[in-house]
This record gives sequence, structure tokens and C-alpha cells, in this order.
Amino acid sequence: MSEPSQVEAARVPLVEVVGMTKRFGALLALNGVSVRLEPGSFHAILGENGAGKSTLVKCIMGYYRPDAGRLLLDGVQHDIYNPRQALAHGLGLVYQHFTLVPNMTAAENLVLGQTHASPTIDWANERARIESFQRNMPFHVDLDARVTSLAAGEKQKLEILKQLYLGHRVMILDEPTSVLTPSEADQVLGMLRDLTKAGRLSVVLITHKFREVRAFAEDVTVLRGGRLVGAGKVAELNDADLAGLMFGRETVFASADRTATKPGKAALEVRSVTTLNDKAMTACDALSLTVREGEILGVAGVAGNGQRELVEVLAGQRGIEAGEVRVAGVHYDRSRKQMRRYGVHLLTEEPLQNSCVRGMSVAENLSFRNFDDGANVQLGCFVRRSVLRRHARTLIQRYDIRTPTPDARLDTLSGGNVQRTVLARELSGTVSVLIAQNPCVGLDFSATSEIHSQIITARNRGAAILLFSEDLDELLELADRIVVMSEGHIVYETPRAAADVETIGLYMAGHRSEREDLWASNA
Amino acid sequence: MSVGGDIGVWSVLLAIVGSALRVSTPYLFVSLGETLTEKSGRINLGLEGTLMMGAMSGYAVALGTGSPWLGVLGAGVTGAAFGLLHAGLCSLPRVNDIAVGIALFIFGTGFAVYLGKPLVHPVAPRLPDIDLGFWSSLPSLRAALQVNALLIIGILLAPAMLWILHNTRWGLKLRTVGDSADAARALGYSINGVRATATAIGGFFAGVGGAFLSLYYPGAWTENLSSGQGLMAVTLVIFARWNPINCVFAALLFGGASALGPALQAVGITSNYYLYGAAPYVLTLVLLIRTSSTKHRLFGAPSELSINK
Amino acid sequence: MIGAAVWRGPEAAVLTVGAVLVALLAFGIFVAFTGLDPFAVYKVLYLGAFGSRFSIETTLTLAAPIMLTALCVVIPARAGLLIIGGEGALVLGGLGSVLAGVALNGAPASLATPLILLAGAAAGAIWIAIPAALRQFRGVNETISTLLFNYIAIALLNHLVSGPIRDYGQPLKPTSWPIPSAFMIGTIPGLSVHWGLVYGVAACLVAFVVLRQTTFGFALSILGGNLRAAQMAGLPVAALALTAAALGGAAAGLAGAVEVVAVHGAASISLVVGYGYAGILVAFVARQNPLAVVLAALLVGGISASGGLLQRRFGMPDAASTVLEGCIFLAVLGSNSLYGRLRFLQSRSAEVK
Repeated sequence: MSEPSQVEAARVPLVEVVGMTKRFGALLALNGVSVRLEPGSFHAILGENGAGKSTLVKCIMGYYRPDAGRLLLDGVQHDIYNPRQALAHGLGLVYQHFTLVPNMTAAENLVLGQTHASPTIDWANERARIESFQRNMPFHVDLDARVTSLAAGEKQKLEILKQLYLGHRVMILDEPTSVLTPSEADQVLGMLRDLTKAGRLSVVLITHKFREVRAFAEDVTVLRGGRLVGAGKVAELNDADLAGLMFGRETVFASADRTATKPGKAALEVRSVTTLNDKAMTACDALSLTVREGEILGVAGVAGNGQRELVEVLAGQRGIEAGEVRVAGVHYDRSRKQMRRYGVHLLTEEPLQNSCVRGMSVAENLSFRNFDDGANVQLGCFVRRSVLRRHARTLIQRYDIRTPTPDARLDTLSGGNVQRTVLARELSGTVSVLIAQNPCVGLDFSATSEIHSQIITARNRGAAILLFSEDLDELLELADRIVVMSEGHIVYETPRAAADVETIGLYMAGHRSEREDLWASNA
Repeated sequence: MSVGGDIGVWSVLLAIVGSALRVSTPYLFVSLGETLTEKSGRINLGLEGTLMMGAMSGYAVALGTGSPWLGVLGAGVTGAAFGLLHAGLCSLPRVNDIAVGIALFIFGTGFAVYLGKPLVHPVAPRLPDIDLGFWSSLPSLRAALQVNALLIIGILLAPAMLWILHNTRWGLKLRTVGDSADAARALGYSINGVRATATAIGGFFAGVGGAFLSLYYPGAWTENLSSGQGLMAVTLVIFARWNPINCVFAALLFGGASALGPALQAVGITSNYYLYGAAPYVLTLVLLIRTSSTKHRLFGAPSELSINK
Repeated sequence: MIGAAVWRGPEAAVLTVGAVLVALLAFGIFVAFTGLDPFAVYKVLYLGAFGSRFSIETTLTLAAPIMLTALCVVIPARAGLLIIGGEGALVLGGLGSVLAGVALNGAPASLATPLILLAGAAAGAIWIAIPAALRQFRGVNETISTLLFNYIAIALLNHLVSGPIRDYGQPLKPTSWPIPSAFMIGTIPGLSVHWGLVYGVAACLVAFVVLRQTTFGFALSILGGNLRAAQMAGLPVAALALTAAALGGAAAGLAGAVEVVAVHGAASISLVVGYGYAGILVAFVARQNPLAVVLAALLVGGISASGGLLQRRFGMPDAASTVLEGCIFLAVLGSNSLYGRLRFLQSRSAEVK
């Protein structure tokens, strides 16, 4: 019964994707893409957000039915209609979001998904198998730990272990490192590369990070706008080639000119704020930072180090356990009155979840900040919908929101247009303090540069801007000053001019030994 | 008669124990069933309707076949059918499980009363007693320990269910679906299929709980047979923290609490009768208030549960 | 996102009417299986609900409290709360009105009656505000807590009328002290329907205007649509949710008070006849729209009113109306899945608005 050496037992197949095409309504998301994956190779698929990488993966894995195209394993064509079939063929997928079961132990998660086994689980036998399997692996996880108690890197390792334990010999990793520190990412990818070198595995790495491609992949395929625009050996391509393929000709960042302003008074102060996360554990620990007028303060950090919770505190979506937020020198209670008085605005990530109402119209969503204000109200309490609609028409035109009418439900708009709606709402008023959190995630290039230029413009007008981003390039482009957040603390601070990616990365990875010195020197 | 006072206290306690054992059986079945359903990430608020349908159909089958045990089976099957109806509606997009539960509560209660009208007068065979107090000579103790096989089945079912949830593939699958729909999708599990199975089994249990009402205690079919045991299922499960073993204790506690008023009344303490009757509800409310928090989810609750989001 | 999503436009109306027709069809098939002619049943259903002056009056009388208990679902739903405590709020409203009525003994009726109604509304408002506050400040799920609150309210009613406020002159059924008969409200001139109908319709109209046209209603829509968006807009979330819950509770409390001052003259278990649960049904059939509540309450009231006639004509059990109501509820919920699939309605609704 027990198969301790299944890792060795299964052979790694040759995978060929031929002419994969997928259409969503008018949008051609994937246009005749072909990829050849030799057994034991490490193949990167590079592309921007929206280039069709995830669509390709979902077509291969049976989540989508492709409109055209074939999948061949060792030269034999297979029609894969659902994920289960893909798994049965030994294709495993590791998502950017974990698909481990949070309230189960690591061992239970490893046992899940085995198809061949008996209906009951012989735990003694099962554990022996897992342990002997782990001995053959370059990394280990505590089997009795609940997933909820594991760190992000441990979860990612467990996720990969699970795929291997299930006997999957082709592993597709969809942006696996976005939730990891650089050192965790290197460790995990390095282990996978070792496994491919040993011929035990083929890896497809979906990413938009050149560094990962360069450091780990042998082959690379570049997608742009749903098309395959280039492919080859990584060793034969330099970064400029890759960038040219990935971004096309529009690589130039159309950012607005930064005027040389002197930062003014402190506009937004976070003073020793402590807050809890959803599991009632400390997310921000007596954290302090100050943003001055006419300044963009960039906050770097790996996701899950308290940034989201801090944004929620500033947005009034999360309670403060200790400490205080001050705006324009006074205590900030996050009420509507103060938001309006001090011009506090927010651009949050995932606007449909965080700052909009799906079922309300575009016009209504545009008026969340001012529906109860001055000219929009008559007889003291009645909303003048005609005025709101007129106002909305102006904003729709000015911010180029593509909607059939101001009365269309917001969730009928595309993601980019929802984002523009929020942008119009938050930036059209008087902005003195702007808090932006990954404002460009999921947007195409032109929309991204448009938002960047809007942010710079607001800064030039004298607004204080606190910009949270997981994209270091974005921070380096926009911020006047950069701080690094790790485990709920600010662990590093540098002016943009002196910013050095390696140092920032080190602190993002939890390097904190110099923290005390740092504060001493800053004080 | 110097011990008269003592006998009074003892007989009240025994009456409460006996009554608790009897009253708690339907609580036990609905809570076990609801635990299974909720472990899969669905909440079925309609078990009151299922319970009534079970009571009615169980009584009808027992009447028709002459076998109370076939009645229990029939009640279970009817309950499972109601569970499938719930699951089928909930598997449609934009259909809320809580609302479907309320609808099934109304529908099931009405349907049971409608179909059960000819059953009000005939007398169906009753489920047999098991005399657990045979060793005692005290008649009040013997009466208190006269229990039904369903109670014992229910109590044995609890550890069996716990074992199934942790030691079978299906149990792990069920918990996966209830805890992380993303993980379930990634593993290729049919989320709606697993939830339908869990809701159908939950319905089966609730139907059996109903059969206990009509075939054992009180032991007849009437329109007001249930005093809300089905509606209480959801709160019992919260009380038991989604653990089948705790369901046994929760059911006994609720049974005891609802037996308190009648038992006191039996010995002549009639004041505040109805307030004692409200004890289980107040108890649950207090527990809910104590364990809930705006800062974290209910401890032990399956993550996919709608009341938990 | 709770199940009580608010939908507008002709699509919602078409789906609801379609669902009601499907439910009627299913009910017809069911009665055909029991050996009855479904068309004869439909006809009697219509006659019993709207066929004669008497049946219309019965329908209206039954619909009045249901409109109010439906608002106890509709208004909190706008704030994102799924409240099913209308039954309990109605009971509390009845108790509150009895206590006020007894306390006001001797006062002029023109003053006392409004105060009695107000007391009922206030009792209901507080009763539903408590679970809303528990939700806001302790994270207690409001659906579960209001379910418990129903049982607690009924136990409280039973306790009070069987002892502390019992009228021992009523030996058959535990009943509270009666309110002075001078405070009772009569019927609408020309109809044998009490004034509760007017209160119900008026409450629905007011609710419609408040929810749709005022800044309060707009703020509630944001809160009900997305709590996080409401917080980000700096809206006073707790106050809004509590107000919405209290307004809903007040409506159900008013229903209880009207039952006391227009029908029973005292509080007893007769208040607990399922108006609260019928209100949930009506709120969902009306898709949380207060104007549609009036129509849906008439439908449900009519079905209940025809129960007696169905029983007399066909010997059907009086639970027949509950079965039909259950069918309608299930069909309406099932029809939610078609929302957004009817393309021809979608494009029109975007243009019309």
C-alpha cells in the first residue's frame, strides 16, 4: 500500500501547448499561444498584469474551456475540461493566493486530494509516508501545525510539498512570490530549481519579475496583450530585450514632472498606533510616521506586514488599540466631518471590496463624498439626484470613465473603469491628504501612468501623500521618501535619492538588527 | 417523615434528568445534522420545517406499516429530501442560504400540517423504551432512566461523526469545502455536491429527530408538536462550537433547561414557569455575546459560513 | 453581502411576478395530486381573497400588520442587517401599548391613543435596536440573535400575562389587563377594516421616500451595499445601523400596538400568529422595496384570507395557505438566480432610469 518513493516513481512528461486561444466576449484574452515544456525544465512566462498569463494557466488547468488550442502530454493530445482531470494528468498549480485549508493541520492538507486511496485514513501509516517523503525533499514543514499558524513562506512551501506529494510532476506557479520576502522567494524557487535539475519536475513560473526569471529560469516566454511576443533561452536575452518584449514600445513612463517643492508642515501623523488584524493579533505595533505637505511618503513591504491594517485604520475601517492619528495637527477621529474639513482622501486596492458599492450606479458611487453636501441637498434632507447626475457626467468625461450612462450599475463596468470612478471621486475634491494603497494593481500601462501622474500632480499642489505599494519600482518612481514596513514596524527609512533596492529588500525581508541604530541616527 | 423534603428535591432532580433525556433527543439530532451541514459551509435555518415533515411522515409510515422503525427511516428520507431542496436552491447563484432556510421553515411546517391532517386521530405504534434503570428499585429513578434507542444512537453518532470528520477522505473533503472554497476548487472538489450531501444528511438527522417527537415523546402527531427545536438547531451548533461531541452536552443542557419549568411545575412551583422556559434562549444569547467579537471570527466556525463573514 | 439585496427596475418586478406564477402553478399541480380541480381552487383562492367585499376587508385587515412587520425586515436590510425578529418586536409593541394604555387610564382618548401607539413603536424599536447594537459593538450575528429574541419575547409575554399583568377576569386564556375601551381605535369609515391599514400603507410610503430620497436613505444604501465603503466615506456606521434597526422595530412594534388597540384590547398569546414570519416572506417577495411591500402584503394577506373559504369549499386543511406562501417564498428566492440573465430587461432598465 505505501508508496514512499512516489516522487521518483512518476516520470516527468513533455508538455506542449499549441495555439491556445480564449475569448471573453469582445476581448481576445489569449491569441494562439504555444509553449513547449521539456521534461525537467524551468520555464518562465513573463508578462504584465493583463497580458494573458493567468488565462493561459486556467486554460491548461481546465478552469476555462479554450476556444481553440490543444494540450499534448508526451505527444498525446488531452482534452482537459476541469481541474480534476488536469490534476490526474500530473499537472499541479500553485496559486498566488494559498489554497491550503486554514483550520487544518499541515498533515491533513497533504493528505487532501489523494485520489487513489481508501475511504478511511490510516493516520499512522499516512504519517510514516509523509515523513519518508519529506526526508527526500529539500524543505520541511511541521506536520502538526495548523495552517493558520504558519508564516507566508512556510505556507508556500507546504503548498509546493502538497503538489509534489500528490505526485504532480509539472508544476505551474502563478506569481508565487508576491506574498514572500525576497529571501523566502529565493529559497523556495531555488529548491524548485534543484528539483528540476534533478529531473524530478518541470516548472512553469508565471511572473512579472525579471530578477526571478534571470535567477532561476532556463527558458522564457513573453506574453503581451494575449499574444506570444517572444521566447527563448534566458541566458541569450538581456533585461533590455525582455523589457522591450514585455512592454512593447510604450516603456517610457509618462509621469508628470515633479516640481522641486520643499515639504511643508506635518499633514498626517501616525503616532505610536497599535492595531490588530482579523485574527486579533498585533498587526501594527506602536507604529509612527509623518507625512508632510507636498511630500509623497512611500511605504514598502511584503504583503501581510501590517500595511493593509494601517490603511484600514486611516480609512476608518479598523479600530485603534493604542496611539493616535493626527491630521493638520489635530486629533483625527476619521469622521465624515473631519475627512471633509481636512480633505482626507483614499485610493484603496480592490475598490469593489473596499470603497464602492457594486449595486449602486456610477453616479451614486461618484457622490459618496458629497451627496449630503451643500448644493446636493434640498429642504435639509432630500438628495437632489439630478444635481448628482450632472456632477457625475462632468467627472465621467473628465476622467474618461467608460460607462453607457451615469445610471449603470458600477459592477457592469470593467476593473479599470471602476478604478477610474474611485479616482474621480477621490481626486476631484480638495485633496490635502491622500492615502493610496497599491493604486495601480490590475491596471494596464496607460491607466497606471495616468494614476501616477495624478498622484504627482496632487503632490505638486501641496497634498501630503502616503503611498503603500508592493511594487518597488512604483515607489522609486513616485516617492520622495521611502520607509520599509516589516512585522508591524517601520524598520528602515531613506530619501529617494539615496534609496538602494538591495538594502530595501533586506529590510523587507525582516532584517531588523540595525533598527535601533537607525532610529538613534534619525532622532 | 423527616426526609420528606429530601425526597421532594430528589424527585424534582430525577424528573428533570428524565425529562432532559427525553426532550434532548430531537435537539441532539438536529444539532448533529446542522453541525454536519455547517461544517460544509452552509447554514440551514429551515430544520424546523424538516423536523415537522419528519414527524409527520414518520408517523404516517409507522401507521401504514405498523413498524415505528420504518417510520423513523421514512422520516429520515423525507428530511434528506428537504435537505436536497435546500441545497439545490442554495447552489443557484445569488441565492442566500439563510433566506432559503426561513422559506423552508414556513413551507415545511405548512406542508407537514397540511398532509398530516388525517393523522391527528389515528394512533401509530410507538418506539419502544429501553429500561436503563432496571437495577434500581426506586420507581422515580426507573421512570427517569427509561430512554429511547434513538437517544443512544444519537449519543453514539456524535463520536462516530467526529471520527468521520477527521479520519476519512470524505470528512476531510467536507471540512475543506466548509473552510476554504478556494482550496476545494483547486483540488477539483464539487463544492455544491459536497454541500448537498452534507445538507441532505443533516436533513435526514432532523427528520429522525422529528420522528422521535411523533413516535416516542410526546408520541402523537399534532400541529404544535415542535416547540421550535428545529429553529434552535443553529444556536445549538454555535453553542457546541461545531463539535459533534459538544452537541451531546449542548442538547442535554438545552433539554434540561426546557425540562426545568415543567419539572418545577410538577412539584408545585409554578411561578416564573415561562421564564424558565426561556432559559435555553437566554443561555445561547449570553454565550453568543461572550464568544463573538468585532475583531475576529467566531472561534471554531467554518470559514465559509455566511453568518461568519 | 446579505441575501436581502435591494434590486430595482422592471427586471425585479418581472422576476417576482414570474416566481409567484410558478409557485401558483406548483401549488395547482400539488392540489391536482390530492384529487382537486386546480382551476376551481384558483377561483376560490381569488374569491376568498378579493372576490367579495367581505373577503377584501379580511384581506386588508390581515395585510395591515404584515406591511409593518415587513418593514422590520426591509429597513434594516438597507443597512445590511438581516433581521428576523419582527415577531418578537410585535409582541413587545403589544405589551408596551398595554402598559401605556393602562397607565394612561382617564386621559382623553385623543391624547392617549397616539401615545399608546407611540409606546408600542418605542418598545419595538428598542427591542430590535438591541440586537443591532450587539452586532455593531460585539459582532453578534443579528439573524441568530433576533431569532432568539423572538423566543425570549414570547416567553416574556407568557410570563407577564400569566402573572404580573394578568387579568384574572379572563379565566379561559391568560390575558393581560385590558386597555380602557375608550382608547380603542375604530374602523375606517365605510369599511370594516381598522385604521391599522392606513398606518401600514402610510408607513410603507414614508419608508419609500425616506430610503430613496433622503441623505439618510442614501447613506444607508452605502452602508448596506458595502460596510467598508461606508466607513471609508466617514459615515457614522453604528448610528445608521442602529437607527435603521430601530425604525424597523418601531414598525413591527406599531403592528403589535395596533393589534391591541384595534383588535384584541389586551395582550395575549393571540398576538403570536406568525405576522412576523409573514413579514419576512413579504419583504423578500417585495425585494426589500417598501412600495412593493404594500402589494406583496396584499397578496399574502389575500392568501391567508382565502384559507377559510378553501377549507369550507374543498375541505382543505387551513395550512393550505401556508403551503402556498412557502411555495411563493421558495420560488422568489430561486428566481434570484435569473437576475441579470434577462438581457432584454437589462438594457431597458439602464435606459429607463
